[in-house]
Amino acid sequence: MKKLRHLVEYAAVRTFLMLVDALSLRAAELLASGIADIWFSAASRRRGITCDNVRRSGIATDEMKVRRIAKASFRHFACLIIDSLKSDRYLTPETWQEHISLDVPPETLALLKQPDQGLILISGHLGNWEIAAQALSFIKPVVGITRDMNNPYTNALMKKRKPRNAFTLTPKHSANMGRLLKTLRSGNILALLTDQHAQHGMMVDFFGISASTHTSHAMLHLITKTPMCFGYCVKTGPMQFMLKASLPITVPRTGKRDEDVRGILEQLSRELETAIRAYPEQYLWAHRRWR
Amino acid sequence: MTRQDIVNQLRETMRTSSPDPIDWDIVTEETTIGTLGFDSLSILDLIYDVQQAFGIDFEAEELVNINTVGELADFLEETLKA
Repeated sequence: MKKLRHLVEYAAVRTFLMLVDALSLRAAELLASGIADIWFSAASRRRGITCDNVRRSGIATDEMKVRRIAKASFRHFACLIIDSLKSDRYLTPETWQEHISLDVPPETLALLKQPDQGLILISGHLGNWEIAAQALSFIKPVVGITRDMNNPYTNALMKKRKPRNAFTLTPKHSANMGRLLKTLRSGNILALLTDQHAQHGMMVDFFGISASTHTSHAMLHLITKTPMCFGYCVKTGPMQFMLKASLPITVPRTGKRDEDVRGILEQLSRELETAIRAYPEQYLWAHRRWR
Repeated sequence: MTRQDIVNQLRETMRTSSPDPIDWDIVTEETTIGTLGFDSLSILDLIYDVQQAFGIDFEAEELVNINTVGELADFLEETLKA
């Protein structure tokens, strides 16, 4: 029964991919936006979570504005999928800079361009993190960590399908310490999202509300002294993006593990909050950050 | 620092780093670090705590092939001498 369900899902995804490939970028985005609007109207539970998260963040209190941001977030996520699927036609070593502009301080850019220099790049579910990783991989190889999809057929299809350039994804179950250290030691970018719920994480304020946060990126930074930056990639037009990055994060060390980790996580959380306030409609409010 | 000092300090550091309740009285140099409650994430905590406790900096990657408490003590002994 499970296999049958997986095959049906696989067929649906494959059909969707064929449709996306057949359509122009504009048409695919219009279709995706339309589906997102229907999804927003029909998925009452997810809509409720999304609106509630916008409200809790304090970004909007007026109900009209809350709903507008939530709906725009649904649309943005739908277009994010389209952009990610179609990016292989646009993002090549020769053309990626026609689609992505960089807003990166010189110090961070120097780290990116230094061949043997590892870098920990932290982002959130803001803008298009897939495009961000792809774009950066034209400068320096990028390694991300992902969870495999439950459906093995769809998982294999998406792995085969997705354009990667020098962006590789390590399955979560094999992201052991040795592998992550080797990634940094080899002068790669280790790209991680800081706003994922951690089962056994540290409670850190996100928009003033405690959220369980992974500590591994902060620990890697502390023990390897590899520079760490916050960055994100916002959509500015059809297949047009701006990649923004912070200066390397510098938090005074106390020598006490929990205090040092907290200092880093709080700074990253503040960076993410500031970025979300600037582009609230491009944040994935539908995901349950506060549990 | 004598070998015994290193082992004692290491045992104390591991006691505070490990997320699991462990009977530290039965831990010997032959004990595998993986059985002391450390997983791929909490091992990062241990590395940080070892760096702080012994006041040394080392490439974390050097610890990848270390399996037992004794092997870690060997590594620290050599690093402290250098």
